[in-house]
Amino acid sequence: MSSSLWSTAVAVAAKDLKIEWRTKTAFASSMVFAVLVLAVFYFSRDPSVVTSLDVAPAALWVTFTFAAMLGLNRAFLLERENRALDGLLLTPVPRSGIFLGKLLGNLVFVTVVELISLPLFALFFNVNVFHALPELALVTAMATLAFVSVGTLLSAMVVRTRFAELMLPILLLPFLLPPIVGAVQTTAGILVGRPLNEFTGWLKLLGAFDIAFVAVCFLLFDSTVEE
Amino acid sequence: MSESDMALRATGVSRRFGYRYVLKDVSFELRGGETLLLIGHNGAGKTTLIRVLSGLLKPTSGTVHRTGSIGMVAHDSMLYESLSARENLQFYRKLYACCETARVEELLQIMGLSEHADRRVATYSRGMVQRLTLARALLPDPQLLLLDEPLTGLDDSASCLVRDMLVGWRAENRAVVLATHQLADVVELASHVGYLVAGRVRALESTDGRDAHAITARYRELASVV
Repeated sequence: MSSSLWSTAVAVAAKDLKIEWRTKTAFASSMVFAVLVLAVFYFSRDPSVVTSLDVAPAALWVTFTFAAMLGLNRAFLLERENRALDGLLLTPVPRSGIFLGKLLGNLVFVTVVELISLPLFALFFNVNVFHALPELALVTAMATLAFVSVGTLLSAMVVRTRFAELMLPILLLPFLLPPIVGAVQTTAGILVGRPLNEFTGWLKLLGAFDIAFVAVCFLLFDSTVEE
Repeated sequence: MSESDMALRATGVSRRFGYRYVLKDVSFELRGGETLLLIGHNGAGKTTLIRVLSGLLKPTSGTVHRTGSIGMVAHDSMLYESLSARENLQFYRKLYACCETARVEELLQIMGLSEHADRRVATYSRGMVQRLTLARALLPDPQLLLLDEPLTGLDDSASCLVRDMLVGWRAENRAVVLATHQLADVVELASHVGYLVAGRVRALESTDGRDAHAITARYRELASVV
């Protein structure tokens, strides 16, 4: 990776995170959403009929993906303010560097949301996630990279539309389905204490999605931001 | 015109949105040290032309050739309101990889924003935002300046500053494309004037010492024969 590409990515990510740190707009809404979803799943279950482990994987990934989506939406909306995206595009940096920066910023954001949501999840569902934390972290990282890369590209694509905030979930959900199915299946196994090597098929699938999504989004970003 | 002098060349540039052509077959050349004043009614295509010249918009047909770096002032500031003036300029400095931190401080000083440099842009007045926008445009020390209504919101002292800059850029052999409705403020600083009527450059002439009234009369004459 060229130094220009990397330095652009770091500058863009640092700027996005600094703005989010100050405004906390996406973070606050993501966290409220995460707590709300976990509470709804918790109270919708009859513990005498459905065990917490039956619902927990779905609850965890619904929380992660939808809370993250609020952050992904914000990624390019802040470039729409005062047409700051034009300012970025006027600079002589590689446009793929801008994509990488946005991706990096989004990954940090989503990781923070996930790190805070996970103990809440453990608390609500009385699930011991800490006995299999490395395995859970691996699956979460792989699935997160897949949906955040597509989400970043689609966020850039819809930012010039009038209903950007509505368009992103509609476009993103079909792409989310395969990696999230893999993540839910693997998480369910991990939480009941099954070894990770029983899920190599799903992990390979997640790895393939990561490579394909990141590569395709990296290549398509240039034409996505062109008017 | 020799290739080495040429700062900007537009050849047969057209741009349409949907089925509607906003620019039609625009061609001109601009050398270093020349200032082209673009005039036209609202909707004549000035902003679209400047965006096409900057490379932000792709022409539907035709080509734009630029040499050197570009500085642009548009209707929108391209600034982040949650960042301070200094942070905005530092961010762009990193992307341009063009200069030292001292350049940021120098521009803040020139624009009279040093005292407010750590305030968030969201708290700035319209005029202060416009000054900062100019500072952002000047950051890469551009050879070509594209200015769309650069005097909007500026007080008298800031307007004088921009006029002084225009004189300085001419002496420094920089090319400037300037679109404005405030003709009287800048007309004596322009070397050429382009009359944009319904997306076409109806005439591109040397200003030849003409004042704003003469140029407005000429525009009306050209617009009336569309």
